[in-house]
Amino acid sequence: MQDPGSLSLLKVEGLNVFYGNFHAVTNVSFEVKPGEIFGLLGPNGAGKTSTLSAIEGLLKPQSGEITVAGFNTRTDAMLAKANMGVQLQATSFQQELTISEILRLFAGIYGVSLTSEKLKAILCDIKLEDAASKKFGQLSGGQQQRVSLAVSTIHDPILAMLDEPTTGLDPQSRRQLWERIEAIRDKGHAVLLTTHSMEEAEAVCDRIAIIDHGKVIAIDTPDALIEIHKNDPEVISASRKGKITLEDVFIGLTGKALRT
Amino acid sequence: MQTIIPKPTTAFSNLIRADFTTQWRNRRAVMMSLLVPIIILVSWKGIIDKVGGPFALSMSLTIGLTSIGIMGYAISVARDRDKGVFQRLRVTPVPAYFIMLSRICVQLVMIFILTACVFIVGYQYDHITLPVSGYVLTFITALLGGALYLGLGQMIVGLVKNAETVNSTSRLVYIALIMLGIFGELGMFGKQLQQMVVWSPFGTVKTILASGMQLSTWNNETTMALLVTFGYAVLFSFLGIKWFRWNSAV
Repeated sequence: MQDPGSLSLLKVEGLNVFYGNFHAVTNVSFEVKPGEIFGLLGPNGAGKTSTLSAIEGLLKPQSGEITVAGFNTRTDAMLAKANMGVQLQATSFQQELTISEILRLFAGIYGVSLTSEKLKAILCDIKLEDAASKKFGQLSGGQQQRVSLAVSTIHDPILAMLDEPTTGLDPQSRRQLWERIEAIRDKGHAVLLTTHSMEEAEAVCDRIAIIDHGKVIAIDTPDALIEIHKNDPEVISASRKGKITLEDVFIGLTGKALRT
Repeated sequence: MQTIIPKPTTAFSNLIRADFTTQWRNRRAVMMSLLVPIIILVSWKGIIDKVGGPFALSMSLTIGLTSIGIMGYAISVARDRDKGVFQRLRVTPVPAYFIMLSRICVQLVMIFILTACVFIVGYQYDHITLPVSGYVLTFITALLGGALYLGLGQMIVGLVKNAETVNSTSRLVYIALIMLGIFGELGMFGKQLQQMVVWSPFGTVKTILASGMQLSTWNNETTMALLVTFGYAVLFSFLGIKWFRWNSAV
């Protein structure tokens, strides 16, 4: 095991995922370092969720190595999972359980002792102190995302994996969630997030990888990507307001055609 | 930084507590599972002397077990799979089989409750009494019968991905099994079908339950029914696990 403090918290090397004959992820490699928010961007069906699912252990990659805090997700799956906090794209919990029961369940699963005071503090932190006995389905989208993030980070993981965490949120909720994601980074932990929002990627990600047709086609900081590609003809033609944005670079690199 | 892996017992006890809470909050569905067998016992009061206490108790228990395995288990698994509940649990450091084992434990407790309820109502309302060995053995045969229907439920959620389709398929299979079981065994559909029903999942479970209640009636056919029930349970569970996908979208 490597020392998690000094090296990458997540290392993906030569990842390949197939669905039957369809090659969904092709030789994807990247690293996420401590104190970094890493964004995985790509059009629909590009392979973002497949990549994330392979890291989370939800699907078996055909080849490639994944290590989380130095633990191989294949050979040390439980140790790797214990170091990850995962927020899935479509998260749901047992619909009969209340918010406090959900938090207790996941705290117990991760071996975290959750006293009443600690539970109250978590609920207070996510501004849901009055909703402890409500069911998950009774909450608004923003409240659900806050609960989901609290559940994902209840064991204070050194790597948080968030799959489109702000989809469908209003600007206030989105800003709040960004602050929470940044707070994870500020603790020296790492965050891997996928998003369709270029605004979000520019605002919170320290580095991003653009993935298309299952391959990583660019990887750098948002500013560096804009700088490198600002003179590409495809990027210029994608530009709508003269000033090149990350979205222009994204469209320039992945094309204008709609994806299913 | 030290990685904490929760003790398997701690993780499992939290899972099972959550599953029992879920079952408790679904009291209405639980009551429905108990209601049909009890209605049968109550409505058959007039014919108990004719058909015999063990026949009535075993018939009502078999229907209850069918309801628990096919309606209760399969529908709840399909619903939670559709909502992504299993995927959420699978990304945590608990072995995947814990997730299912916890649910099966809840259903096993349900089987005990059902058996106890049938005995109590049978005694209180129909004055059916069994020897102590009959009560003890029935709890065991009910568990085996329950395993068969849980396996059948698992096979349905393995074969059918969509939660709504699982819901309707389960209801259809439940009604078909009960109708064929009751009327087929009484010979209302002819001799050939009666024989088929005897060796169907419904018939073999009913046979071992009835003979378990009265050990003196246990014969070679009952032993064969026991083996066939075991075979059905293993086959259905094997296929159900083999075909099962954690994610309904795949």
